[in-house]
Amino acid sequence: MDKIDLFIIEALTKNARTSFRQIAAALNVSPDTIIDRYNGLQEKGVVRGSTIVLNPKEIGYNAMAVFMIDLSPNNENSKKPFDSTLIVETLIKMRNIIVASKTVGDHDLMAIGVIKDFNHLAEVRNEIAAVEGVKDMEVSFWTEITELSPKYFVI
Amino acid sequence: MGTRLDSIDIAIIRALQKDARASFAMIAKTCNVSIDTISKRFKKIENTGVARGTTVLLNPKSFGCDCVGSFGIRADFSHIEEVLQFLKKIPEVAFCAKTMGRHSVFALAIVKNVGVLNEVKEVIKGHPMVREITTSIWVNEILLCPENFDLPVIDGGAQIG
Repeated sequence: MDKIDLFIIEALTKNARTSFRQIAAALNVSPDTIIDRYNGLQEKGVVRGSTIVLNPKEIGYNAMAVFMIDLSPNNENSKKPFDSTLIVETLIKMRNIIVASKTVGDHDLMAIGVIKDFNHLAEVRNEIAAVEGVKDMEVSFWTEITELSPKYFVI
Repeated sequence: MGTRLDSIDIAIIRALQKDARASFAMIAKTCNVSIDTISKRFKKIENTGVARGTTVLLNPKSFGCDCVGSFGIRADFSHIEEVLQFLKKIPEVAFCAKTMGRHSVFALAIVKNVGVLNEVKEVIKGHPMVREITTSIWVNEILLCPENFDLPVIDGGAQIG
């Protein structure tokens, strides 16, 4: 990545709809150069996509919660371990869950969800608890910041 | 309480969630309204604070960050705010919030490797008001699905604001 690439990334991080013509003018290069570079950044996987950053509080979500999930070591029916990949995929398909990942350390899986109120928190918790293979879960939630990460990194 | 959104607003949000650079002409076509309407609605969505803006999704690996980890921190009750401010100053900490429940603070760090994650952990642990810290390393298949928000549909001429 060179200066031009980094300039494009910075401009689009602040506003993904910045016109390529505007970026080109600021750098004194042709708009085609910017288009080529942007496509290149996408092909190389540096830029994974673009999105609108919503403010959950404005649409009725007042909190966020992290669910720290432990899985059962064994499936009693099949005598095989549970497929954690499958469970993560089940979690991310749930309404209100916006991040899910396998983790190494204190817990097996983590999921972050957007929460409307206490009843809703209980509902989401119960929904996760009902997933086959989920043994135990700890929940922490916060109300002050409802933005996941200002950097919006995706892996 | 939340802002009212109608089906056009939601069509705009859903389209931009997938691709923030989506052309307003395309969205206008699917909604069967003018481009001008879409551009006005988008401005309204931003001005009312429903959206904070648009951004690109970056791959941390391209920037040399191979490891994501989270910390559950229990801090001295009267000093939680102090710990939070301390965390905010650590450049590797991408996100931190005061939480209720199991921990006092939850933080997420995006770092170069596990070694650096451990260094960050030790820095946090070194704070005199931190009583306990548990670390989890996020395995590289983090799934992100911001579309899972339910958007409150209020149709029939209801407008934002």
